[in-house]
Amino acid sequence: MGNKSSLVLKPEEWEEIKQETGFTQNQISRLYGRFTSLDKMNTGTLGREDFLRIPELAINPLGDRIVHAFFSESLDGTINFRQFVRVLSRFRRIKESEKDKLNSREEKLRFAFRMYDLDDDDKISRDELLAVLHMLVGVDISEEQLASIADRTIMEADTDGDRLISFEEFCATLERTDIEEKMSIRFLH
Amino acid sequence: MDFVKAGVEAIIEDEVTKRFLAEELPSWNLLTRTNKNYHYISLKVTILWGIGFFLRYFVFLPLRVTLLWLGVGWLIISNAAIGCLQNGPLKRWAYWHASLMSFCILARALSAVITYHNRENRAKGGGICVANHTSPIDVVMLASDNCYALIGQRQGGFLGLLQRGLARATSHIWFERCELKDRVLVTKRLKQHVEDPEKLPILIFPEGTCINNTSVMMFKKGSFDVGGTIYPVAIKYDPRFGDAFWDSSKQGYFHYLLMMMTSWAIVCDVWYLKPMTRKEGETAVKFANRVKSEIARKGGLVDLMWDGQLKRTNVKAEWKARQQEEYSRLIKLD
Repeated sequence: MGNKSSLVLKPEEWEEIKQETGFTQNQISRLYGRFTSLDKMNTGTLGREDFLRIPELAINPLGDRIVHAFFSESLDGTINFRQFVRVLSRFRRIKESEKDKLNSREEKLRFAFRMYDLDDDDKISRDELLAVLHMLVGVDISEEQLASIADRTIMEADTDGDRLISFEEFCATLERTDIEEKMSIRFLH
Repeated sequence: MDFVKAGVEAIIEDEVTKRFLAEELPSWNLLTRTNKNYHYISLKVTILWGIGFFLRYFVFLPLRVTLLWLGVGWLIISNAAIGCLQNGPLKRWAYWHASLMSFCILARALSAVITYHNRENRAKGGGICVANHTSPIDVVMLASDNCYALIGQRQGGFLGLLQRGLARATSHIWFERCELKDRVLVTKRLKQHVEDPEKLPILIFPEGTCINNTSVMMFKKGSFDVGGTIYPVAIKYDPRFGDAFWDSSKQGYFHYLLMMMTSWAIVCDVWYLKPMTRKEGETAVKFANRVKSEIARKGGLVDLMWDGQLKRTNVKAEWKARQQEEYSRLIKLD
């Protein structure tokens, strides 16, 4: 009867998740509730379509890329709760006392980098950049303008002259941007 | 980068999907069903809960079930009897009283405690009454105070029985499912009904589906295209005593009724708003949105642009295109 989130995780798993992600017990409960409500078929795992059923995500131009980021560790196209929470933990605000957790500045930058790196080869090529720009603007801007934006971006960021943006070059470009602010979300409780 | 943040925020909690689940309460109201994260608080609370359980299931429930049978029985018998009368003022008078009586009994059977506000704005014949939709029992809430012509899909089973019973005594509009898709046919039948001032005002729920009573979702423009006067009504249930929302994907209708009859009470406020008509040159969509904001404001609900059908289907591609347009404009300014 009804939608009681029956806690099928063992106590040791809760501890492990807390250690790994830094979430509090309450935050993990809430996320678990959210996980089960997205899991309409009650399989204990989420597939891509479960994410894209969220209307605000489906209309987001980078929606597919964001969903892809969740499935980067998946072998069969589904993720379980632990993988779900691990990816989300990257968006936790950084606290002074923590070091080397999943929500460090570097991890946040890596998440952003993966948005652009379509083939997961750790480099952003001109074509990948163009493809992402297409996703963002749809059909409103002409090919030439998009190509020139892409070229300009690569010229500014590419310091070793290989016409590709590596992760280090990416980080260097964003050195002055407040990544902590832009890539952090306030989780309730 | 902002898109990424917005996207992940949507994954954690979004405005739309939470409207299709029962509302979360800030404090527990001693009903197990609202206790999402069970943890044992104290012996006293458990005892209280136990007493509550006993009261609700063994005292309230039998009383309410009896009332339910009485109400349904009276509804069917009275409607059948009135159906035998000739069409005319006597029939209308008889229907008015019989209908009010049966719906009042049914409302009590569901443990409803209703407060009506601004009753001078009640709908009159030849108009259309629109309200926000939380569950089929909205009809019972409203019909205990005024008589309406109902419109809806022809159902089987218990509801179908009621539908056929009602149709004998006065004109309601029942559709077959395939007819519902034919917009022109629907509008024509609505128009015909509205143009006859002897007929009762039609009760329509323009959201088209049950929402959990924390927000009002997009109103379908069909009913606003017909002309005539619109009488908006806002219905707000008090969630502390019982949750009126019907989650049709999780509960069957009988299960839902059982939940209703074993809550503490279904307490609701009904506000009758001033009648509205379409202005010169106003499109049906704009008019629908105007009415929707009024209802949302009065009922203290969140006014959302999203379509209630998103409960079952996916978002249309054009919404994404709109986001992309916004972003292009930003880049062009660079």
